Amino acid sequence: MTRRILIVDDHAGFRRSASRSLAAAGWDVVGEAGDGAAALEAAERIEPDVVLLDVGLPGVSGIEVARELNERLPDVAVVMISTQDPGDYGELALASGARGFLSKLDLSSQALEALVES
Amino acid sequence: MAVRIEQTVARAVSSATDVGDAYTRALEAIGTDLEWNLAAAWEPNADGETLGCASLWSRDDDADEFAAVTRTTTFAPGEGLPGAVWESDQAVWVADAATDPRLPRQEAARAAGLHSAVGFPVRSERGVVGVIEGFADRKLEPDQELLNTLEVVGAQLGQLIERRRAEETGVAVERRHRATLEAAIDCVITMDHNGDVLEFNPAAETTFGYTSEEAVGREMATLIVPEELRDRHRRGLRRYLDNDEPVLLDRRIEIEAVRRDGSRFPVELTITRIDVPGAAVFTGHLRDITDRLEAERELRESRTRLVEAADEARRRIERDLHDGAQQQLISVAMTLEAASRQIEESPSEARALLDEAAAELRQATVELRELARGIHPAVLTEGGLDPALRGLASRSKVATTIAAVPERRFPMPVEAAAYFVVAEGLTNVARHADGASSAEVEVAEADGSLVVEVSDDGTGGATLDGSGLRGLSDRVAALGGELEVTSPAGGGTRLRAVIPCGS
Repeated sequence: MTRRILIVDDHAGFRRSASRSLAAAGWDVVGEAGDGAAALEAAERIEPDVVLLDVGLPGVSGIEVARELNERLPDVAVVMISTQDPGDYGELALASGARGFLSKLDLSSQALEALVES
Repeated sequence: MAVRIEQTVARAVSSATDVGDAYTRALEAIGTDLEWNLAAAWEPNADGETLGCASLWSRDDDADEFAAVTRTTTFAPGEGLPGAVWESDQAVWVADAATDPRLPRQEAARAAGLHSAVGFPVRSERGVVGVIEGFADRKLEPDQELLNTLEVVGAQLGQLIERRRAEETGVAVERRHRATLEAAIDCVITMDHNGDVLEFNPAAETTFGYTSEEAVGREMATLIVPEELRDRHRRGLRRYLDNDEPVLLDRRIEIEAVRRDGSRFPVELTITRIDVPGAAVFTGHLRDITDRLEAERELRESRTRLVEAADEARRRIERDLHDGAQQQLISVAMTLEAASRQIEESPSEARALLDEAAAELRQATVELRELARGIHPAVLTEGGLDPALRGLASRSKVATTIAAVPERRFPMPVEAAAYFVVAEGLTNVARHADGASSAEVEVAEADGSLVVEVSDDGTGGATLDGSGLRGLSDRVAALGGELEVTSPAGGGTRLRAVIPCGS
């Protein structure tokens, strides 16, 4: 089944390559957002299956966005990402209502699939 | 009659113990002499706008009710008998107090059987300072001679009372002055125009090592001024007395002073001339500022170390970026260029080069991540101490447990200091603590401070000397906190920081 995914990161370069590689692996990339407010707006409008959410967003932090999404759209699977390793953010991501955390270095279609399925 | 009453009043006042007693004795003397039934003295209340009863005498208890009313009544200028005297500054005669509608105490007077009344001012150089009134149970004809006599008695009584009051005030002032000197934290030394000590308070005794008995009468310069400064001190005093030239007066200066044992120490000194008639008297307030100067020096050094540490950190980051990520990125660029050249001729070779470039980039990313975390951990900003410390524990080379961390957020500098205490502590456990198999981190809030502890089960013997801990100690001290290391030989090491939370 093709999953609809929203990619949230303040680096356009990362959004571009993540979008390209996930689309190549069969994901339906339905939107991109560069900050927390735009992410919340896009998620409510698009209602994707998955939100790939960077922790370190300018303004409203990724942690806050995850909490908001969990409250407003509990069916959306949020996966948090960062250049940092899971030791720093793993528990914090779960506590914020996300399905899990991935280091950007470990980001792949399979790893994402595994977290969404969990 | 006038002379007799004046003498009686003078005797009465001179045997009094205080001003209140002087009034009572004067009232009794006058009342007895003139065969009054009751007499009262009035003085201005603290507001200065009304008179209150300062003292009351009565011959017997027939007029108890009237006495009670008198004690609790106040009079404005012009009001009642006391107010009329106060306003007019003259003796006043009332033919019958029981029927005179001007008197607010008319009814009470009637009930007590009081009739004729007289009031006269108590005068001093300051003007009317009080009023005396007397009541008799008879109706008497106005007696101008008696009124004249009473005005003279009032003037005499006023002087006597003012003198007693001045004496009492003088004694009280002297007592207050003495108590202030005794309790002063500063050394207070009073000196006459010759430069000889007049007073030497307990703080001065403790500070300089002389008793007051030893110091008083000796030249202040030889007691406490360093030898090479004595002549200047004497010349300055002479110059001031001869020409009124204010040398050091009323300024706060820092100089050296000498103790009895010859040791020197820095003091802050203010000299003031005391405003007394006659020869000049000076008072000097001295404070030992050894501790303050020492604290200032320590603060300066600590600031310098913080600045140096920040500079050193920047140099290290530059080196790490230059030697690490930058070199790796150049290498990646070259690998990609090689791949590009091979792509037509040998696609499999190109693919191998691309894989190599991707691997190199990943390695560069990991190194950048570590570098960024060392500057300031993003997780601390995003999530606070709890996730940040758990991250540190998970990466520690020694098994580390987090015993407790408060969930709430603290000001950023406090969180950062606590984080780096734990980071440095765990680094040291891994690097130095021989035989340490585990470490424990505990952070708790107590008495407005964050208490951070990192302990291990190694062999101990660590000190605060390492430059890492020195810098950490400065960072904690900059927030008003303290860092200590407890490390008995064979007993493990405990690094403990107490950091005021500021909220």
